[in-house]
Amino acid sequence: MNAWDIFIRQFIEKEGYTLVLQGLGTTLIIAVAGLAIGLIIGSILAIVKIIPGKNPFLLVLQRFADVYVALFRGTPMVVQLLVVHFVLFPSLGIHILSEIEGTIAFGLNSAAYVCEIMRGGILSIDKGQTEAGRSLGLSYSTTMIKIVIPQAIKNVIPTMGNEFISLVKETSVLSFIAVVDVTKAFQTMANSSYEYVVPYLMLAVVYLVIVLIATFVIRILERRLRASDKR
Amino acid sequence: MTNDNSNEVLQEASNSEGMIKIQNLKKSFGKANVLKGITTTIKKGEKVVIIGPSGSGKSTILRCTNLLEEPTSGEIWLDGKLINEVDPYNHDDILKISSTFKKLTAEGYSEELALAEIKNNILIKSDFKEGREFVKAKKEFKKANSININEARARMGMVFQHFNLFNNLTVIQNMILAPVQLKRKTKEEAIADAEKLLDRIGLLDKRDVYPSTLSGGQKQRIAIVRSLCMNPEIMLFDEPTSALDPEMVGEVLDLIQELANEGMTMIIVTHEMGFAKKIGTRVMFVDQGLVAESGTPEELFGNPKNARLKDFLSKVLY
Ligand SMILES: Nc1ncnc2c1ncn2[C@@H]1O[C@H](COP(=O)(O)OP(=O)(O)OP(=O)(O)O)[C@@H](O)[C@H]1O
Ligand SMILES: [Mg+2]
Repeated sequence: MNAWDIFIRQFIEKEGYTLVLQGLGTTLIIAVAGLAIGLIIGSILAIVKIIPGKNPFLLVLQRFADVYVALFRGTPMVVQLLVVHFVLFPSLGIHILSEIEGTIAFGLNSAAYVCEIMRGGILSIDKGQTEAGRSLGLSYSTTMIKIVIPQAIKNVIPTMGNEFISLVKETSVLSFIAVVDVTKAFQTMANSSYEYVVPYLMLAVVYLVIVLIATFVIRILERRLRASDKR
Repeated sequence: MTNDNSNEVLQEASNSEGMIKIQNLKKSFGKANVLKGITTTIKKGEKVVIIGPSGSGKSTILRCTNLLEEPTSGEIWLDGKLINEVDPYNHDDILKISSTFKKLTAEGYSEELALAEIKNNILIKSDFKEGREFVKAKKEFKKANSININEARARMGMVFQHFNLFNNLTVIQNMILAPVQLKRKTKEEAIADAEKLLDRIGLLDKRDVYPSTLSGGQKQRIAIVRSLCMNPEIMLFDEPTSALDPEMVGEVLDLIQELANEGMTMIIVTHEMGFAKKIGTRVMFVDQGLVAESGTPEELFGNPKNARLKDFLSKVLY
């Protein structure tokens, strides 16, 4: 039997596909949920960092946001995953599914990147937009919510897309905390048949396809948003 | 340095002859002293034109007037209400409560001398050193005389050199955002008013387009009527035609002239000397952060006295 036949037999007859589909689902769910958490926490951090003012409570929050971003961008994802799984949750005495721990770790990590992306997006909006809003008597928050942030979001959509793509790829380290993602699924197949070539090439193709689909969706979204200015 | 005491200031400011009263306005950016003490009163219906060389501080005066820039010192009054921080230097009553004043008078200074010493030698560096009563006096003054800055801004329209229409909103949305958000009008009223204004400037067909599709002249005229949607009492124009192609300057100036004819109070910064002459009831020549000369257009353009104004006019009038 050649390598391909071995793979097919394992994939179909030995029901390897159920494992792969499950793994694929885990990968996608953790990536999407991670990004969602990242978007929420990251946007909050970005706004905290941007609000002007000398309120001491605000200054403390801003300091915290700086440290947060430095910490999560300054250490490898795998290390963060290990710390969340082996240090954070055990020390809090919390026992939850590794999948949930993984989602939280990726969400926290992604928040640091989203924060910087959002901050850059907000800062890239011409100061004249804020000034026009304020000069009409709108408050700082109304000006941000109605004028600056919508424009910033539109500008950062491609970068957020890239963030999602790197998040999908980074989830391949989930097996470090015994989560069966798509990488682990193919690895399991390879290990049980001692046939590595096809499973790992297939794994690469699977990631590539996810990334291509994501790229396509982002491009459509971008085009649709751009069209909306030019009616 | 003005020597009004607080009562005088209060009376003058609140008799509402002066719609806007700028009191010893100073502004520095870092070490650069951009405005060095501007004092002027703009009465209802006046059209004050500010001219002067580039970098002299014209925009900064306008931007301090609606607090887009925080004045370093000095006061801005709108219709008898203070809109920025209290500046004790403009209020002898407040200065007299300071511990510095008490110390000086105890040392044998007369009241006038002590006040002069405080004002001229800038003894006040930080508030808390001046004692609690001083801070309290400032707070009380502010409480009695101030209005909220957003409230004040809503009553002052501002038109920018670069239009600053909201890029994410259509023309009509640009116009109704502030009146609806600030509950000045219902959405229906705001839309009806905005459509009337658009019709007036002949741009009703642009109601639902985004700003990126408009010409500069159209953008600026819409920016002007967007301000009008808040029914402002005064309009501030910062070089409204400087970013326009020459063929579009006329349409914007015509609209400003129309508003002027309807009695709108205005402060206009412009490099269009012909327009300044025509529209201004008063012209102020600002040079190096000070009003170097001020008067009617006839006086300033016909018979300039200040040497730098003469020089400036010889350059801009060819
Ligand atoms: N935000 C700022 N930070 C630092 N310096 C500033 C700032 N705004 C203005 N300045 C400086 O203050 C000075 C006066 O600026 P301003 O814009 O008021 O001049 P202007 O008279 O309006 O000039 P122009 O005719 O070129 O518009 C300039 O030297 C400028 O560089
Ligand atoms: Mg200027």
